Amino acid sequence: MSVRPAGDFKTSYVQDMAILDTRFYRIGFAVLVAGLVLAPLWAGRYIFLLNTIGIYAVGACGLALLTGFTGQISLGHAAFMAIGAYSSAFLSQALRLPFVVALPVASFITFLFGIVVGLPSLRIKGLYLAIATLAFQFLTEYALIHATGGIGATTVPPVSVGGWTVRTDRQFYYVVLVFWVAAGVFAANLVRSRIGLAFMAVRDRDYAAQVLGIHLLYYKALAFGIAAFYAGVAGSLWAHYNRLITTEQFNVGASIDYVAMIVIGGLTSAWGPHLGSAFVWILSQGLRIIAPAVLAVFPAFGKIATPLREIVFGVTLIALLIWEPGGLAMLLRKLKRKLDLWPFAY
Amino acid sequence: MHPVCNALPASDYHAVKEFILSGLVNGLAVGSIYALIALGFALLYKSTKILNLAHGELVLFGGYLAIALTQFVPFALAVVLTLLAAALLGFTVERVIMRPLFGQPLLSVIIVTLALGYVVRGLMVGIWGGSTRNFPAALPGGILRVAGIPIQSVGVYSAATAACLLLVFWLFFRYSLVGIAMRAAANEQLTASTLGVSLRRVFAYAWAFASMAGAVGGILLGLWLGVNFALGFVGLKALAAVILGGLDSIPGAILGGFTIGIIETIAGGYIDANIIYGFKDITAFVVILLVLLVRPYGLFGTEHVERL
Repeated sequence: MSVRPAGDFKTSYVQDMAILDTRFYRIGFAVLVAGLVLAPLWAGRYIFLLNTIGIYAVGACGLALLTGFTGQISLGHAAFMAIGAYSSAFLSQALRLPFVVALPVASFITFLFGIVVGLPSLRIKGLYLAIATLAFQFLTEYALIHATGGIGATTVPPVSVGGWTVRTDRQFYYVVLVFWVAAGVFAANLVRSRIGLAFMAVRDRDYAAQVLGIHLLYYKALAFGIAAFYAGVAGSLWAHYNRLITTEQFNVGASIDYVAMIVIGGLTSAWGPHLGSAFVWILSQGLRIIAPAVLAVFPAFGKIATPLREIVFGVTLIALLIWEPGGLAMLLRKLKRKLDLWPFAY
Repeated sequence: MHPVCNALPASDYHAVKEFILSGLVNGLAVGSIYALIALGFALLYKSTKILNLAHGELVLFGGYLAIALTQFVPFALAVVLTLLAAALLGFTVERVIMRPLFGQPLLSVIIVTLALGYVVRGLMVGIWGGSTRNFPAALPGGILRVAGIPIQSVGVYSAATAACLLLVFWLFFRYSLVGIAMRAAANEQLTASTLGVSLRRVFAYAWAFASMAGAVGGILLGLWLGVNFALGFVGLKALAAVILGGLDSIPGAILGGFTIGIIETIAGGYIDANIIYGFKDITAFVVILLVLLVRPYGLFGTEHVERL
């Protein structure tokens, strides 16, 4: 559903293929990127929030490709992130590899795991696949706990690129931003390529896609691989950002957060994962800030403050799914349409 | 999770026999409760095609509410009140959340049940806190011997209750009008609908019954092990039971519950004590993966033939 102003005709294929197809989007995107580049100026001490949003947005992009575009439900995305994080930790801590090598290698390892996990998706579908990936999530957590001992706490050296060592949140922000923008742009372009079209055909009806000559095994495994690769990048970034990783950070709750992000953001929108990640993290940080304030006013509220995030999160998800299943991306699109047409209804 | 298996000296025939027998008895006991919880799970899936990932939270709800109520009223009354509350919760969830989502894609429904789980669990934590709570001694304590195997008597009573309830459920579906309507709707929604079965009512009843089965399971497990948040994971064990038995098969769910109970106690307990620690709690997932890889529709589930 593309809403364009009257008189804006596409006269060449290049125009037709453009992702940012109107002046509004082009200017908006430029402003957004400029705003993000200058974020350390306006974000202040909340720059850590932007880091987290960015890292999770990278992971969510992968899940959006897998679940939104290929239709393979995965409740084990955080497990891939964990694999990326732990292999990255191993590569840079035990093998002393620099960040620029550790991240791609760790992501590639995660990619291989993704392929392996994706293979059964030829046989297991829909609901059953969701359950299988959930089992994969728990088994990975368990394996990591036992492989590392205790809660799996592992330290990771700081990022160092060409003699420049990243020490603060602000410096790390630019590392995240590079991967964030790259991940978003790559995903937005991938879904328009032959691979992306094949993914969508598989999502809509996998056997029909097979009849049309799409190699199901190849594309399903590839979707899992790409999703895992994204999660691997996110996990590796997360490991280098936090410098201390535990299996707790990648538990089933994180997997559910991921799915919630892409659903909240909008499943098949290029903006969805980013909006979703921002929404989830701003919500949970906001609640962390608001909760003590509310508590000061209503002390009787005390007991409910601890699980406040879970409750609000759950209620928001339910409400959003009932009222706007298309997610935030759809909500924004409708809002834009309303504003364009205002004060008329049509 | 439950007090069963000690490390076993290898190559000692009697010890092995004892271990397996004890595992069988205890596994059957805990399995009967799993079976009851899994029954609710399968029932809901069969009639509404919704995989309720908040089932563990419904179990929690039953356990916590019953404990809270026993502080004010006698145990029996507390159980009855809990069941009523669980039924009410089921009706509410169906009416407020699930009905508007009817016909939405699978992912939305899965997410909504997960979100529902968050809300229920969050409210439980908020109201009752995170520590383990125990029921007042409503049933006689001590150790009973079944076939020469010691087992906590609470376990025996819980298992007996679960078995009775399974029978009640079976009779209900066999003979009562509502039960027959539900089976009809589960069998073929459209046909049942044209014959005058109200699908809305069937869905509402399915949610209420699933919620009640979960709550009873919570109370029974709570009597045995105490109530804390680990109880929520029972939902996942029930999931394993249902996958094993076939998602849309109620006898399968019951058999699956018993099987998971036994596998968990014997295999899980053995590996736990002798090979790697903590294996017991993930036995269920290993079973899920194996079943899905070998026979995705489970032992008794209907095999779905896909046509273009």
